[in-house]
Amino acid sequence: MNVLVLFAHPLADSYGRAIFDQVMSSLDGDNHDVRSHDLWRENFDPVLSAVEKRNHFAAPETKTANDPLLATHVADLEWCEAIVFVYPSWWSAPPAIMKGWFDRVLMQGVAWTFPEGATRLHAGLAHVRRLVAVTTYGSSRWVNALEGEPGKATIRRGLRVLCNPRCRSSWIAHYGVDRATHEARSDFLAKLPRRLHRALR
Amino acid sequence: MRVLVIHSHPVTDSFSGALRDSAIEGARAAGHDVRVLDLGAMSFNPVMSAEELRGYKAVTPVANEDLTVHIDAVRWADVLVFVYPTWWSTLPAQLKGWLERVMRPGVAFVFDEDNKVRPGLRQVRRIVGITTYGSKWPYVKLMKDSGRRTLLRALKLNTSWRTRSKWIALYGIDGASEEKRTHFLAEVRRSMERL
Repeated sequence: MNVLVLFAHPLADSYGRAIFDQVMSSLDGDNHDVRSHDLWRENFDPVLSAVEKRNHFAAPETKTANDPLLATHVADLEWCEAIVFVYPSWWSAPPAIMKGWFDRVLMQGVAWTFPEGATRLHAGLAHVRRLVAVTTYGSSRWVNALEGEPGKATIRRGLRVLCNPRCRSSWIAHYGVDRATHEARSDFLAKLPRRLHRALR
Repeated sequence: MRVLVIHSHPVTDSFSGALRDSAIEGARAAGHDVRVLDLGAMSFNPVMSAEELRGYKAVTPVANEDLTVHIDAVRWADVLVFVYPTWWSTLPAQLKGWLERVMRPGVAFVFDEDNKVRPGLRQVRRIVGITTYGSKWPYVKLMKDSGRRTLLRALKLNTSWRTRSKWIALYGIDGASEEKRTHFLAEVRRSMERL
């Protein structure tokens, strides 16, 4: 399967980074074709510019012409059959740098179209058949349920409806990581390859 | 009351900008003190740096200079008003990053000795969200309305139990007539006059 991995964490020595490394090695072990983006390292700019906003309905090339990194993101999105998001949940949702990937890369003509006379978006990602999120939460499952899991909704509903109608989404989460023991963290890492394998089967 | 308006949109003369202006006019007309943080115009950078994250739990914020004006404004305010367009059912990345960087420990919450999060915004009496959705109401609810949940649940958990919230939204803006938009601007102004 062609797998696109999007990773967000600013620190190279973090637990988030260890999760990303584990994700990459297990995808490699399962013989997937993988393309990945480390959004922090590549200095991805998450802010939709005034020019991009004014060209909301223009052809994708109008927006990517002077932005090679954005063009790469678009090409990788069009190439992939699965997207794996790896990030720490902040305020119950992906960090701003990853939210910006939604705002900027999921553009008209790539992720969706709005044909003349339509009343809502038409999906453009029929080639995407799997969505996976691997994420950590500082607070407990209970607190996040109370907060309504906004990040989960954005990926499993908002993005999901743009993908193939039979697209499956999986949620691989480590709750309460702020207070987790060393054992709990290692355990999560150890089980990750199997859970990922099942999610992409 | 002391009203802080936080606005995020890349284009200054957009409909979102008009909403910001209506909110400010309404609050001023009712005699409130108003401060504005226009993140687009300020070119606010929503990306937390590695250094900033390393110092995240420090007692004295090692926040960058550019955060000082934002943190001061939050500590000053007793009403927080968020004005933004809803994208992918939630806040634009710039506003999401504002929450991550400005609403930090020592400002929005504190960690207790058990490393649990405790509220730090008890002085806030109202949280107001003013937003536009491309989709209609049923579809927004089907998508679970993440932006509203972020502000009226996740952020609100850090305020006092007496804090009230208000949601003023225009659904289906993609197909909305000029008349409907004008009507919504007036509604925003009226609601802010009656805070």
